[in-house]
Amino acid sequence: MASRTTLAIALRALRRNRLQTALTIVGMAIGVGAVLTMIAIGTGAEAAIEDQIKAAGMNLIVVTAGNYKVKSTEDFGGGAVEPSARNQSDPVPDPPFEAHESRPAVLLAAYHPEDDPMEKHNHPTAKQRLGDNEAGLGSAATLTSDDAEALRGLGGVQYVAEGIHQNIHLKAGDRRWFTRLHGTDVRLPLIRRAWTFGSGRFFSSREQSRGDQVAVLGAVAAQRVFGDSNPVGREVSLWNQPFRVVGVVSTTSWMVAPAPGDDQFDAVYIPFTTVHRLLNLSKLNDITITAASTGDVTRVMAEVTKLLRQRHRITEERPDDFTVTTQARQALAKGGMRADVARAVVGNVGGLEKVTLEQLSKTLDRATRTMTALLAGIAAVSLLVGGIGIMNIMLLSVTERTREIGIRRAVGARARDVRSQFILEAVALSLAGGVIGILAGLVAARGLSQYLRWSTTISPGAVLLSVGVAAAVGIFFGWYPAKQAARLDPIQSLRYE
Amino acid sequence: MNPGDPALIAADEITKTYAMEGAPVHALRGVTLDIRRGEFVAVVGPSGSGKSTFMHILGCLDRPTSGRYLLDGRDVSHLSDDELSSIRNRQIGFVFQGFNLLARTSALENVELPLLYENRMRIAPAERRRRAMAALAAVGLQDRAAHHPNQLSGGQQQRVAIARALLNDPAILLADEPTGNLDSRTSIEVMDIFQRLKDERGITIILITHEPQVAEYGSRIIRFKDGRVVSDHANTSRRAAAAELEAVALEPARDV
Repeated sequence: MASRTTLAIALRALRRNRLQTALTIVGMAIGVGAVLTMIAIGTGAEAAIEDQIKAAGMNLIVVTAGNYKVKSTEDFGGGAVEPSARNQSDPVPDPPFEAHESRPAVLLAAYHPEDDPMEKHNHPTAKQRLGDNEAGLGSAATLTSDDAEALRGLGGVQYVAEGIHQNIHLKAGDRRWFTRLHGTDVRLPLIRRAWTFGSGRFFSSREQSRGDQVAVLGAVAAQRVFGDSNPVGREVSLWNQPFRVVGVVSTTSWMVAPAPGDDQFDAVYIPFTTVHRLLNLSKLNDITITAASTGDVTRVMAEVTKLLRQRHRITEERPDDFTVTTQARQALAKGGMRADVARAVVGNVGGLEKVTLEQLSKTLDRATRTMTALLAGIAAVSLLVGGIGIMNIMLLSVTERTREIGIRRAVGARARDVRSQFILEAVALSLAGGVIGILAGLVAARGLSQYLRWSTTISPGAVLLSVGVAAAVGIFFGWYPAKQAARLDPIQSLRYE
Repeated sequence: MNPGDPALIAADEITKTYAMEGAPVHALRGVTLDIRRGEFVAVVGPSGSGKSTFMHILGCLDRPTSGRYLLDGRDVSHLSDDELSSIRNRQIGFVFQGFNLLARTSALENVELPLLYENRMRIAPAERRRRAMAALAAVGLQDRAAHHPNQLSGGQQQRVAIARALLNDPAILLADEPTGNLDSRTSIEVMDIFQRLKDERGITIILITHEPQVAEYGSRIIRFKDGRVVSDHANTSRRAAAAELEAVALEPARDV
């Protein structure tokens, strides 16, 4: 119904009332800009939380050498059971275990009565600890760097890092600090996504392959031995051997704050090859793996177990000589996550110990989606106000421009031409406002993330939605005034003063 | 021009009744008359005599309550609103007392307005401008094309309105009190334009006025009273605007 000519007429009419047009466009722009900014903040928060979940290790899988508990060949799911909790809350074993021929042994696998200090040791199995039967497994050094290399080839695996851990005296001049030493792989910073290097860098793959004596200090350890001065380029000593400090690592995460005694930042990182060379070792304590997607963790865990059993030539009836766990539970339990965040997670999820990672991230997703919806709702109100502003202007226009409508009708405009003109004017107003609003929203989102460090994400979908909403508002709020305009009687309109 | 020609306008027992707050108002009580192509008809009468209502019906702005109106042989008394719009666009040009130009719009854009509503074919913007410029030149305002109405004098505004009315080459030019807002000299200028349109281009002009002196410029004078035609005669002593303009130029102070 709207030809190009009608569009030209509408645009000309808008040009005649510049101030009115400009003010209406500004109103609309504020509405659309607000919507876009709010959506950007909401989805940004969603992405940030996802990021933090990964940073806190929700996609982390740790393979530890040895197996402090024997599992039956029918593995019951990664050993996610906390012994004492299970003992108190659930004395009756779950049905699947009952099917097993050796019931007491399976119960042992689930928990050991001696783990609970309050337990009376008169249990029939108390004298028969399985660890005694499987002697040596609990402390076995069974993982090698070849295992780690093999794991790098698995599907769904993102990064793999070797690990050797010790407690160590870190010395610099006359300052000493008792801390953790991690011999690790150059890829560790990719796994610890929240890491940031306040000064310097991580060691390089070249330094790793040569087994160089280079060290990266955790922020806490660095502060203890160097105070506030920059440790990069200085020398520290480990095992009375000189090491050159190449970097200091800290965190951007608000979930994990560096503190004395924590494993990540009260620590020293050196290449695992250096540890092997200096201490004449060849095994690893553990291997850290990240799954490419958080939802894939359980599957990757199973794959890892399968591959390592194969490599270690473990026959079907024998238990694993390694343990595969996820970091998420440890992080939550150890308070690596901020107390309030952990509380929120625990409070939202019943039976945290049984919860899967997928459920956990879904809970957080839900929370942020609620926030996005709330923000978008607030913004929608401003959009509505913008739309009513357009309607107001258009209605006023119809009254103010009655004579113009009469003139147009006299020279041959049909009622529908007048209607199209007014609708197009409204749509043009709202679209112009929409485009300006989108630009303003982009700038605002940019500014928020730059100056307030809020994370914002603007998706093409959000932009399209904003344009669509702007046009819809124009048509919706322009339709009634346009109808009024088209209904005016030409003779009355011509006489209108 | 030839008396044997079929009438351009044939009104047959046209009545128009308005319902004003319950009481019906009979604006036209049966008007029958023919107007032939090329006539310059002056319609006079006191206010409320029905002459404006008659003009609205002739201009297809309104429909008669009863009776028949043939425009160029076609019965238009019961056409739809869209069809009437299209007739207004192509066959009728209006000139009003209040000029009725779009404010804050250049003379050129005002003049090309009817072409924007030409629905049979799309006219390119360049062609619209060309024709609008030609129409402005015809009323001597080619150098005022970019002026807005508030930058033009009353006479110039009315000439812009005439240019707009003539743009689509209408069969009829309907002028409703075109000199009502003009001083006497400018009024004569407008009448001069009308007489030349009649004489040179054969355009049918229907001029509504309540001033008998202005009606004297027409070639036929129809008098309305109480919704009826009370007299209808050819004006043999037609005033010649061109000659008067020359006289006024010699004696500028004299009021005509």
